[in-house]
Amino acid sequence: MAAPNKSSVKIAPGAVVCDECELIGDITIGARTVIHPKARIIAEAGPVIIGEFNIIEELVHITNRFPDGAEGKKNSQVMVIGNNNVFEVGAQIESTKVGDHNVIESKAFVGPQVELTSGCIIGAACHVTTGEKLPENTVIYGAKCHRRIQRERPPAQNLQIDFLTKILPNYHYLKKVSKAQSPPK
Amino acid sequence: MELQDIYYSSAEYIETASGNKVSRQSVLCGSQNIVINGKSIVMTDCVIRGDLANVRIGRFCVVSKRAVIRPAFKKFSKGVAFFPLHIGDHVFIGEDSIVNAAQVGSFVHIGKNCVIGRRSVLKDCCAIADNTVLPPETVVPPFTIFSGSPGKVNGELPECTQDLMTDVTSSFYQHFRPHGKGK
Repeated sequence: MAAPNKSSVKIAPGAVVCDECELIGDITIGARTVIHPKARIIAEAGPVIIGEFNIIEELVHITNRFPDGAEGKKNSQVMVIGNNNVFEVGAQIESTKVGDHNVIESKAFVGPQVELTSGCIIGAACHVTTGEKLPENTVIYGAKCHRRIQRERPPAQNLQIDFLTKILPNYHYLKKVSKAQSPPK
Repeated sequence: MELQDIYYSSAEYIETASGNKVSRQSVLCGSQNIVINGKSIVMTDCVIRGDLANVRIGRFCVVSKRAVIRPAFKKFSKGVAFFPLHIGDHVFIGEDSIVNAAQVGSFVHIGKNCVIGRRSVLKDCCAIADNTVLPPETVVPPFTIFSGSPGKVNGELPECTQDLMTDVTSSFYQHFRPHGKGK
């Protein structure tokens, strides 16, 4: 497995991070966040900070990419992901600001210039690459990426997180909660 | 029309006693909960999530590259449950597709790059076109073709779909051959 370089991955107690996922660079993962196997989080241009109660499913790519014209500048930008977000299978996120309670569905793509506030849903296979700050509770859906504002934000997935934290350790090796900076097996 | 032979390197695939060909590069989570009934092909970089719930795959199924098969969950008043996922016989799943269904019948064709929403039910003898996004809890009736995002009925399949799919999947299996097997 790809060992995290210099072990700069910080995992808060209570988080479930499968050993089969790929974490590269300076990454902080908050408590009760669940990361499925085969997810990829790459902190290329600077640190990635992930909050609490997030679900990151398999084949999700979260990349903190270098902004155009700033290649090679280390720590040029920080990517912050809030709490209670769900990233479904195969989503790709390059946005540096993700708020709370967002749902990024399967195969959706969120470009680097987009800022997600909170309660947003990016529908399956929708691509958002414009340079804008999405208003709260925006829903983007369908083949033509229609938009609307919903009245309430999507419900939190705490029950699913509870279930996954129970069941995933039975089947997967987990990445160690940090501080004990030991290299993984 | 006869299918072209597709060759794979025999080091890359494991062939089981029941004739399944499973790539070593695939990710089978919770493999004790995955049943593949025989003569099925699981290609490179597939993900099958047996850790969430049981997954049963019938005979002569083809799971193409980078496809994801994962049981769907449902929220109840008390906690969450993942539903066991049953896939019938002679099912073809295209590349990069994500199958979140509750049930997939037999003789089903799922195209490339599809997203099958949570707890969808795909009945026997149906087809999903490439790049389709099926919303959660869709029921795809027999002999229909779904396409688009969100997926809608777009056509009908002939009555001989069962035979066509049987032919396609079994000849795919026959033409999926190892090369460099010097026997």
